[in-house]
Amino acid sequence: METVQVGRSRAATVAFNLVGIAFAAVISFPVYWMINTALKPANEVLTLTPQLIPAHPTLANFTSALHAPNFLADLRNSLVVTLGAVAGGLVVGFLGALAIARFRFYGRRALVLVILIVQMVPLLALLIPVFLTLNRFSMTDTLIGVILTYLILVLPYTVWMLRGFIIAVPRELDEAALIDGCNRWQTFYRIILPLTGPGLVAASIYGFIQTWNEFIIINVLNHSADKQNLMSWLASNQTLQETHWGPLMAGATLTSLPVVIFFLLIQRHVAAGLTAGAVKG
Amino acid sequence: MDAVEVVARTPADQRPPVPAPVQPRRRRREGTPYLLALPTLLVLAGLLGYPIVKMIVLSFQHLTLRDLWTGRTPPWAGLDNYRKVLSDPLFWTVVTRTLGIATVCVVLSVGIGLAVALLMRRVSGWVRIVITVAMMLVWSMPQLVSTQVFLWLVDTNWGVLNWLIDMIPGVDFTNHSWFVDPVQGWTVIVALVVWGAVPFLAITLYAGLTQVPREVVEAAVVDGAGPWSVFRHVTLPFLRQLLGIVTTLSVIWDLGLFTQAYVIRSSKPETDYYTLAIYAYQKAFVISDYSLGSAVSILMVLGMLGVMAFYVRQMFRIGDAD
Repeated sequence: METVQVGRSRAATVAFNLVGIAFAAVISFPVYWMINTALKPANEVLTLTPQLIPAHPTLANFTSALHAPNFLADLRNSLVVTLGAVAGGLVVGFLGALAIARFRFYGRRALVLVILIVQMVPLLALLIPVFLTLNRFSMTDTLIGVILTYLILVLPYTVWMLRGFIIAVPRELDEAALIDGCNRWQTFYRIILPLTGPGLVAASIYGFIQTWNEFIIINVLNHSADKQNLMSWLASNQTLQETHWGPLMAGATLTSLPVVIFFLLIQRHVAAGLTAGAVKG
Repeated sequence: MDAVEVVARTPADQRPPVPAPVQPRRRRREGTPYLLALPTLLVLAGLLGYPIVKMIVLSFQHLTLRDLWTGRTPPWAGLDNYRKVLSDPLFWTVVTRTLGIATVCVVLSVGIGLAVALLMRRVSGWVRIVITVAMMLVWSMPQLVSTQVFLWLVDTNWGVLNWLIDMIPGVDFTNHSWFVDPVQGWTVIVALVVWGAVPFLAITLYAGLTQVPREVVEAAVVDGAGPWSVFRHVTLPFLRQLLGIVTTLSVIWDLGLFTQAYVIRSSKPETDYYTLAIYAYQKAFVISDYSLGSAVSILMVLGMLGVMAFYVRQMFRIGDAD
């Protein structure tokens, strides 16, 4: 933006730039400090004068995190639970989103209302009856129980996000396909499904992030240490080894890495979904 | 993020409901939406509706751990649970605290978010990219991880924050513990919550700001409006709807505050660090009083429904939810 506007001097822009850089530095410092600590050998972590750059960077903390009890089992659980919930949410959510986006039917508004509200109710508030119900069917301490619970975490937002993508597919395409002899279901999987591809990717990544980051529910439902997910593993590591900051920060870096990468891919869809078209970013 | 436009209604929605072009299919098509929505409805009913009903029933019963294992129907308790909760002084302390903390968090995060959004309009392009990248990093951090990192930053013996404050002449923060005094502890938690919330707010509001037509701003400037009146009378009205939505979302999120306060006290929060969500959790899963916990959860959700209704109404008003 090179056009100099009324009342905007170059000096002011420099000043604002400095404020902006300072702000960026301050807010990203915790992230930097996590990685910095993770790369330090133990004797450099606990120093009276904190060291901004590791003098002898090492991956030892990462190795010790990887070899901590249950890391691999809980990593596997994380993947199973996440994939299960996301796949389920995607299939159910796509069909639900089709109904909301393409049809006007009795009860549609109510369904939208429920989905919008469920998206906001803290799932923690519903954890008690979910726990008791799963307990009655002997499904606590199983991954299936967790997948079912996470489905509720993922589904509302998936429906909502996919709805936005389906609306963006012009109705004329459906109609053209109908005229060309497709039946209603064929238009769904031949026209709408391929065209909402990016939406399916975005929704599944968002679902992945939500379930990957969850650790309270799985901790309540499953009591065995090898039936937790990676976040819950990380939470328990904090209480176990409070002063072992190096390995803890290495574990934190490892568990947040996939989330950070995936999140960067879909960030704009997340914002657009939450504000529902008030801003199309 | 450059192609931003105000979408009052998507074109597809604007049309009056189109009569089905292929008449013979009409009857079949009427059943289609229900069939499509069926799985969603089943999941919502089974995994959400049933638990909610169960929770409401539970809050009027007295379920003990023994009932849980024997499967005996718990005895009817009438309004006992609610009476017990509402007469617990701690409950009211926690309610007041939750409301107060949420207010502080919302005001700070929306205020800072808006300030950063405005700042992003004024800086050079490359600075805007730096700010955006930094905010994306922060935004993508899992809550658990960022809480642990903050805990490390404010660590009593080796934390960077104590070292930094200690450098101020005349201030001794060596081995200062941040969680002995709840006011200081909550300051850390609020900072953590605001830090995590600002990126979403700033990026969304910045996208909203780019929708304010330049001509209108220029016309105001030509008419002699200073920067403040441009903001107050031009920018703000354009942004009002979006600000309403993100503020409502922040209120809902901050009222449900759990993870940050719970994890920063290493999963064993003192009563000084209870929020309403933690209070309910402790009642149910720590002292195993599921009925009491249900009553607290129900009261909490009822209290939040008002805010949620406001959000939903705004979404419908934009027309996108319709």
